[in-house]
Amino acid sequence: MATKILSVDDSRTIRLIVGKAFRPYNVTLVEAANGEEGLVVAAREKPELIILDVTMPVMDGVTMLAKLKEDPELKAIPVIMLTAESGRENVLQIARLGVRDYLVKPFKEDQLIEKAMRCVTLEKRPVPTPV
Amino acid sequence: MNQTIEIASICEFMNRHLADVFETMLSIKAVAAPNTGMPPSEERVTGSVAFAGEHICGAVYLHFGKPFAGHVAATMLGLAVEELGEAEVNDVVGEVTNMLTGGLKSWLCDSGAECAVSTPSIIRGSSFVIEPVPDVLREWLVFDCDHTRIVVEIHVKVG
Repeated sequence: MATKILSVDDSRTIRLIVGKAFRPYNVTLVEAANGEEGLVVAAREKPELIILDVTMPVMDGVTMLAKLKEDPELKAIPVIMLTAESGRENVLQIARLGVRDYLVKPFKEDQLIEKAMRCVTLEKRPVPTPV
Repeated sequence: MNQTIEIASICEFMNRHLADVFETMLSIKAVAAPNTGMPPSEERVTGSVAFAGEHICGAVYLHFGKPFAGHVAATMLGLAVEELGEAEVNDVVGEVTNMLTGGLKSWLCDSGAECAVSTPSIIRGSSFVIEPVPDVLREWLVFDCDHTRIVVEIHVKVG
């Protein structure tokens, strides 16, 4: 059974890169463009992992995370935060939020997979056999 | 603020950071080149992100020639250049500019100059020049990437 992962990022580019990183794995990727949409999709899809951007319009990642943690049905979902800012204060703030892990942009796809594998089981997609 | 931020230090940081962003996201080596200014009439895709705080404000402009912008977008998204529309290329150039400026913001904050950054925007065209207003310093950083020249333009007002 495919592992369901939710990618919440206002940048379509980042969502595409996240999708590309998980392409070799048996993953169903669902997406949202901001925290508000992310909460709706998380409640509907119950993902096993959320990859969450920090800075987004409408509702940012920090607010979405706080709301996730208040929801008894969603609070156990592990969250990996993505941030373009590696400054000390920013990293400390993220650590205080109780996220499972974080990744600073720019990042390599391998780094994302490695961090995701610490949270969920990822199985390689079977390679199609040539007919 | 802990110290006065000088534009030379910002340029030094950006030289390192751009090379890091290109290596990590694109596996492209970006090598600092002599500052020859902007190409005169090449069709460009330029990403810009502004930053502003109590002690410092400015903007970062990342200028790509149009073909190289397509190459960067294709590499980053793992697609063929022909599969990409203008919107995808704009989005990638905006995101790369955002990563560059996000790194600069972190460095400025760690140096005591707290600031916030804007969302990215894109300028397309040729022969355009971005003129800073009085009291704003401007620097150009030129890089060679895969036999193509890219330019980072930094506008800074300190104090």
